[in-house]
Amino acid sequence: MLITVYRTSKFAFQNVWRNLWLSIITIFILTLTLLTTSLVATLNIVADQAVQAVEEKINIDIYFKPEVDEQDVITAQVWLQSIPEVKSVRYVSRDEALEKFKASHANNPNIAAALAELTDNPLPASLVIQAYALQDYAVITQQFEASQYDTLVQDKNFSDHQLVIERLSSIIRRLYQGALVVSLIFIIISVIMMFNTVRVAIYAHREELGIMKLVGATNWFVRAPFILEGLVYALVSSSIAMVLLWITMAAATPYVNNFFTGYNFSLSLFFQEHFWYIFAFQVVVSIVLAVGSSMLSIGRYLRV
Amino acid sequence: MIRFDKVTKIYSDNTYAARDLSLHIRPAEFVSIVGQSGTGKTTLAKMVIAEERPSKGRVIIGSWDITAVRSADIPVLRRQVGMVFQDFKLLPKKTVYENVAFALEVCGVNQGHINRIVPQVLKVVGLNEKRDKFPHQLSGGQRQRVAIGRALVHRPKVLVADEPTGNLDTINAQEIIELLLKINTLGTTIMLVTHNKDIVNRLRKRVISIDDGTIVSDQQSGKYII
Repeated sequence: MLITVYRTSKFAFQNVWRNLWLSIITIFILTLTLLTTSLVATLNIVADQAVQAVEEKINIDIYFKPEVDEQDVITAQVWLQSIPEVKSVRYVSRDEALEKFKASHANNPNIAAALAELTDNPLPASLVIQAYALQDYAVITQQFEASQYDTLVQDKNFSDHQLVIERLSSIIRRLYQGALVVSLIFIIISVIMMFNTVRVAIYAHREELGIMKLVGATNWFVRAPFILEGLVYALVSSSIAMVLLWITMAAATPYVNNFFTGYNFSLSLFFQEHFWYIFAFQVVVSIVLAVGSSMLSIGRYLRV
Repeated sequence: MIRFDKVTKIYSDNTYAARDLSLHIRPAEFVSIVGQSGTGKTTLAKMVIAEERPSKGRVIIGSWDITAVRSADIPVLRRQVGMVFQDFKLLPKKTVYENVAFALEVCGVNQGHINRIVPQVLKVVGLNEKRDKFPHQLSGGQRQRVAIGRALVHRPKVLVADEPTGNLDTINAQEIIELLLKINTLGTTIMLVTHNKDIVNRLRKRVISIDDGTIVSDQQSGKYII
């Protein structure tokens, strides 16, 4: 048993070494397939985070009339929170609004002077609403306008946002669909290329396979070196793909992080945290591709 | 040693390679199977190593009826019947030594035994000095000797040679035949499939002539008659 394992390993490494060009090409195509798949997956993750980031930026502000009691605002907040589409409702009191206004215009002496003149706080209390999804804002708007609380409102930025929200949501949806189709096409092309490369490699060995059978090798003995060869290709390509992916991530991180400033997302951190998952995924995919395609191609040459 | 009992072989395109053919080759015999191309000689050789199965009748090697041999048993059969082909069928990426050793490696023979047997066999076929060459670095005659060496490592009782001189010049061909005769004197049954008239006539051994899948003559010290 041990001697058979040793010999199949020896034959596998001899195959890799003595067909070096074919081995290099197989590893190259396999690495390309893994890299394409990983980059497409990364792009999807970044796109997903971008959608979330944009969604987080969008909210609806409802400004209440100055005479409205704080208790009524809080009742409206509780009612809004009971709407299933609503993710969160934050109450901004008049004092809080004033503090924020002051803070954001601290560098403007004119505004500071104007505020100092005022005896009364001119800013209204408001509710900041966030929905789970972009399309939910329209539903929330409709429900609020039909409710009793609509009369308490002085101003709201529903309609300002509505058009932007609708456009953005449709653009993102189209981009996402487009990216998905392109990714699928890329993945299918690389998988077919990989299958083809392995088929060519096996085709180059077809005479050898027949000879092995003619001198008394069992089917398993013929197959085993190819399984092992596939495993070697899988491990080498996954490692190369991980290094390339790491370099790509390192290069892209400043740009991606710049886009996500203020949000809790870092590409390099994401890569570090998921390193072993990504590597395991790549190893499994490459084993399935390399070993699977060689097993499929080898079958026909074993009928000697 | 080799027995064909009323064997008929029909290929899928309805051509007959054997028609109700019976023959018996005794142990340690040297038999030439002759006939023109396409008469069914090679099919007979292929049936001996179960590369082809008879459509009707039985094929028996020693006391083993291999007519319906299971595919799992074919490797066992091929370790007992050596086969040599016109196109040598050597592994191009393996050296002379590795090609011969390979036949032992595939059946799990231990390395010590391989290290002992392979040089002996290479000596018998006269290739000890070429042991580290690859097939493409050898002449046709040398390649065929490697193939014969590989067939011999299992010390088979039967050696089937299918047109072993087909790709060789006269001198190399004669050397191969002499090697086969030498192996025969050591007790191995030889089934030589050929259409080389000169070789057959010089051998003065048993000759079975085949035409259109049937035996047309079987002479103990025969000549090429077709």
